[in-house]
Amino acid sequence: MRPLIDVWRSATSRLILIYGALFVVWSVVLLGAIQWESSRYLNHVLDQIVSQRMQYLGQMDVAHLPQAVDAAGTLDPHGIMSAGLFDAQGRPLAGNIASLPQGLVADGRMHLLPKGVPRMDRLRSDVSARAMAQRLPNGELLVLAKDTSTIDGLGAIIRRTLLWGLSLTVIPGLLGGLLLSRGPARRIREIQLATEPIQRGDLTRRLPVSRRGDELDVLADIVNTMLGEIERLMGEVKGVCDNIAHDLRTPLTRLRARLYRAQQQLDGRPEAELMENCVADIDAVLTRFRALLRVSELEDRHRSACFSEVDLERVLHQVHDFYAPLAEDRGLRFVLELAPLAPLRGDAHLLFEAFANLVGNAIKFTPSGGRVLLRARMERNGPRVDVLDGGPGIPAGERDAVTRRFYRGDNSRSTPGSGLGLSIVSAIVRLHGYALEIGDGDGGGACISMHCLAEPAIEAA
Amino acid sequence: MPRILVIEDDEVTAREIVTELAAHGMVADWAATGCAGLECASAGGYDLITLDRMLPGMSGIDVITALRERRIETPVLMISALSEVDERVRGLRAGGDDYLTKPFAPDEMAARVEVLLRRHQPQAENRLRVADLELDLVRHVAWRDGQPLSLLPTEYRLLEFLMRNSGQVLSRTMIFEHVWGFHFDPGTNVIDVHIGRLRRKIDVAGKPALIHTVRGSGYRLAPAD
Repeated sequence: MRPLIDVWRSATSRLILIYGALFVVWSVVLLGAIQWESSRYLNHVLDQIVSQRMQYLGQMDVAHLPQAVDAAGTLDPHGIMSAGLFDAQGRPLAGNIASLPQGLVADGRMHLLPKGVPRMDRLRSDVSARAMAQRLPNGELLVLAKDTSTIDGLGAIIRRTLLWGLSLTVIPGLLGGLLLSRGPARRIREIQLATEPIQRGDLTRRLPVSRRGDELDVLADIVNTMLGEIERLMGEVKGVCDNIAHDLRTPLTRLRARLYRAQQQLDGRPEAELMENCVADIDAVLTRFRALLRVSELEDRHRSACFSEVDLERVLHQVHDFYAPLAEDRGLRFVLELAPLAPLRGDAHLLFEAFANLVGNAIKFTPSGGRVLLRARMERNGPRVDVLDGGPGIPAGERDAVTRRFYRGDNSRSTPGSGLGLSIVSAIVRLHGYALEIGDGDGGGACISMHCLAEPAIEAA
Repeated sequence: MPRILVIEDDEVTAREIVTELAAHGMVADWAATGCAGLECASAGGYDLITLDRMLPGMSGIDVITALRERRIETPVLMISALSEVDERVRGLRAGGDDYLTKPFAPDEMAARVEVLLRRHQPQAENRLRVADLELDLVRHVAWRDGQPLSLLPTEYRLLEFLMRNSGQVLSRTMIFEHVWGFHFDPGTNVIDVHIGRLRRKIDVAGKPALIHTVRGSGYRLAPAD
């Protein structure tokens, strides 16, 4: 049985997650572009302001210049705008710049100074700045700089906006997606539950179809149509099979009766032996037909009202008593190991039949001197019964096939039998909702385990 | 001579049953419908009824229910083409005494009739006797020629069934159904092994064999001819 579907693994959830991720990437790209464009524009405006001021100061009378440069500094209480006048040797003459910024070329163009401008008041020395330097006709150097904190501030605002935007859209989006995917997940779960009996072979079941007519309903409808067709075909195949077995039984039984009568009349004459062999052959065919019809009968049978409390220990004792003489005659040890078992609901006769088939097979495949073990103990869901033989075992590849009708493994071709024993067992196991497991025994032989349930698992059909 | 009422709508099957029963020394009357059969049975005088499960009009189950309601306790062998497990249970629950599935071997049908007749004979004694073999039904003990036999419970039940029906050929299926109480095909050799064990305890050396194998049919317990 597959585990039930997980909401997180549903297609809707996956789509929502992919969509959410794409949305985040797109938002980041979009806001990044906005930030880049706006900082570029702001830088441009800033550069223009600085150039204009530079132009104004550059044309000023040299005598008034230091005063004007100082005034430019004091006009800027926030320390955003810096101005400085240096002599030809680079010593500061006026303004609020402590020393010539390194790497600044006096070419009258804007330069980005990542380390900012060394200011007298040591304010904001960590902020990068855009600066311009121009040599005056008297050899002095005029430096103007504006730090970029306003532009960085803009970046911070945009990043904050991005975070808010994302949390206000992505989180409700994910929650909404989760809620949305719960509906389909619930319906898939319903479908999953409905298919369990179908997987167990009950082809009369159908998937639930709602009145909405959505894509899941269309799918369920298609599956239901296919199931109907499979059921019809299976029924036809089984019907043909059963009819052949059934119709041939009547003439075969008559033929057997005639041959038997002839055999008795010929008693003592050499022809009697021929007749006897014919009767034995017909008996073999009839036995096989009986087994075949028995499998169909068990498969057709739905959960029966005849289920009652079964003392499994008693059933297993009966099986042991029934087969112990045969095992002894074959020179085998037939061991019964029983732990105390809880009673279960089932059909005692059918369970006896199932264990009888398993034990019969085990005895058939165990060579003389070997051991057959019938063992039962309680497990979590109910009793577990193992039948271990000392035969060649069942190869892993054949384990599914052995419960099919008429399947006989290579190892069993030389032994007589209808090849239907395990089919009968698996039909009985299915009828009870139990599980059959075919594995290896301790001694190399096969171990066939029946996992019974204390209470029947399938609801009454 | 036992009188048997055969209620069966199919003429071929009915003739087959009547012939086979006659061959076993029984007188058989045939009724073709459920109503006619019920009338005959109510009139009395029959030791056993073979009843088809599927009859037109009044079904086999209806007939047997009506019979039992009228307190007519004649043993009934149900014969049916329906072999389903539940069908057998339903037939027996309605009041049938044994159940045989079509198609059947005529000799097995006759054997089942005889077993039913024996079962319904009043048991005068608490002991069964066949030649020098004795069985105490109360104390569950058996003797051969005065020597007590040590029998396991299954062996005792098997011997009791054979002795109650001594002289009668019993098929392996019948033995399995009566002694073990199960209704499926257990494969022939298991029953043979059980008979073999019982035989080793009863047919001791120097005594005539009492358990006989009937080829193609089954077993019979009877004094040596």
